[in-house]
Amino acid sequence: MTATSQRILFWTTVWFCILILSVPTIIVVGASFTTSNMISFPPEGFTFKWYEKIALARDLQQAFFRSLYVSTACLIVSVPVGTLAGLALSRFRIRFSNMIQVYLLLPFTVPLIGSGIGMMLIFGEWRILGSLWPIGVALAVINLPFIIWSVSSAAGALDSDLELAASSCGAGRFETFWYVTLPGIMPGVITGGLLMFVLAMSEFLVSLLLTDARTVTLPVQIYNNIRSIITPDLAAVSSVFVVIALIVVWLLDRLVGLEIFLKSK
Amino acid sequence: MPETTSQEEASKAFRYPLRWRVMDALNAGLDRLWPARMMPYTGWALITPALLLVGLLVLGLFQMADSSLHTLDRATFLPSEGYTLENYQTVFENATYGRIIWRSVLAAVLTVFFTLLLALPYSYIMVRTSSSAVRKALLVVLFLPFFIGQVVRAYGLLIILGTTGVANNALGLVGIEPIRLLFNFPAVVFGLVQYMLPFAVLMLAPALTAIPRETETAAASLGANWFRTFRHVVIPMAKPGLIGAGLVVGTLALTDFAMPAMLGGGSQDFIANAIYDQFFRTADQGLGAALALLLVVLGSVFVGIVISIFGAGTLGMGGKK
Repeated sequence: MTATSQRILFWTTVWFCILILSVPTIIVVGASFTTSNMISFPPEGFTFKWYEKIALARDLQQAFFRSLYVSTACLIVSVPVGTLAGLALSRFRIRFSNMIQVYLLLPFTVPLIGSGIGMMLIFGEWRILGSLWPIGVALAVINLPFIIWSVSSAAGALDSDLELAASSCGAGRFETFWYVTLPGIMPGVITGGLLMFVLAMSEFLVSLLLTDARTVTLPVQIYNNIRSIITPDLAAVSSVFVVIALIVVWLLDRLVGLEIFLKSK
Repeated sequence: MPETTSQEEASKAFRYPLRWRVMDALNAGLDRLWPARMMPYTGWALITPALLLVGLLVLGLFQMADSSLHTLDRATFLPSEGYTLENYQTVFENATYGRIIWRSVLAAVLTVFFTLLLALPYSYIMVRTSSSAVRKALLVVLFLPFFIGQVVRAYGLLIILGTTGVANNALGLVGIEPIRLLFNFPAVVFGLVQYMLPFAVLMLAPALTAIPRETETAAASLGANWFRTFRHVVIPMAKPGLIGAGLVVGTLALTDFAMPAMLGGGSQDFIANAIYDQFFRTADQGLGAALALLLVVLGSVFVGIVISIFGAGTLGMGGKK
């Protein structure tokens, strides 16, 4: 049905997009196996020595564990808060619900540099700036709309008669929630949780503003190292992020299916 | 009386399953904590934590506004006591900031244009393809960079665009001298387009999914070629998605930090970079806060203009049918 000219034009664009989206990743992973001390592509030879090097580098290791800690803190804060808010928005009548939606979208409409600096000032005032967990809280704030969106769209698709049926069969409020509502919205919670985790893991700007030399997370560490010199061990560290992203994409696809993102709301 | 004892024994022997008892206890606890007469407020109770969490951000904005009204005392390096608008005056009078703001706005507009130009065919093919394998592959290509993060992606672009990088090697094969592809304005815009593409496609795809295929068939059967079908049917129907995507891409590009910092090499600063420098290089908090607040206002004006022209409803969080 589609005309040949359309097909050629569109597929050319699509291939161009695929190229610019994937080539940087492929190059980074490829460069991490090079034997020379400089980044080169195509890589010369094949070696795991840069991975050995980063596995032994204390600063990178610590930065990695800090990132994990921060992402976990972000999950602990954002999953309950986002799930409840998503339920409230889709399941309950709330007055001024339009205004509330605009308010809850503030983390997306306020520029990251603004949110980051604002929270930096607040955390400074509260004397919690040097610790790690506030970074997790901050990342939960800036990405909160993601999990609210994914939970509320899952809850919107859940038939509310199911909950009525459960309570008419004698289930109490908690049982209804635990055995009917929660399993029903689980795909939304999982999607939201995975998004929150991986986005917190790779978040850069707000982390840059809130960390100091003792609390740098991995993306900030990479940024600092790039500023001084580009070496293949950085490519190896970056490959860690590629692996994490691959795992999350695979998990998302297995658990809820990537096609969920194509659905019209 | 042997019978009653056996009954007692039986009732002693029978115990409700643990799960039931736990559930009963939890239900009773919930009834205590949140009695049924409070039901009308349940929605509010559920949403309050989120309101408080986002309140942190609002608090930060107020703190920023406060600090923007104090100038830095160069003698003591402490913020001044009284309130003053001097910082804003500095921003408006200093030509450097004018240039930086102009550069950010221009980059944002260009990024929106090129990103949408690429994202529209991509999401169209992704939505309309009959092969689910192709669709999945296109989705994976999209999600990987989205999850890998900005720093690593910019790092990949640094390797590619460097003077000894892949792009220059490829140009060398066709006999073109190595050219400086990095640390200039086009490099930053290219980086931004590459960075924004997944956002744009993911926002466009639901809008395109909502367009019934039949409308296009109908247009074609009435004699419209694909270009006219696209121009008069698909694009108008996808308008909310296009505006939403443009809005998100525009504000993210306008306020970006990492791409100008890494691909611009210090010569292509955006507003965010200027703000960062005020806070961490010159340590002039007040001026930095004033700039940041202006950026927030600029972003909001941008969103406001788009919404007032094209109507609201492009930012809906979904859920409610």
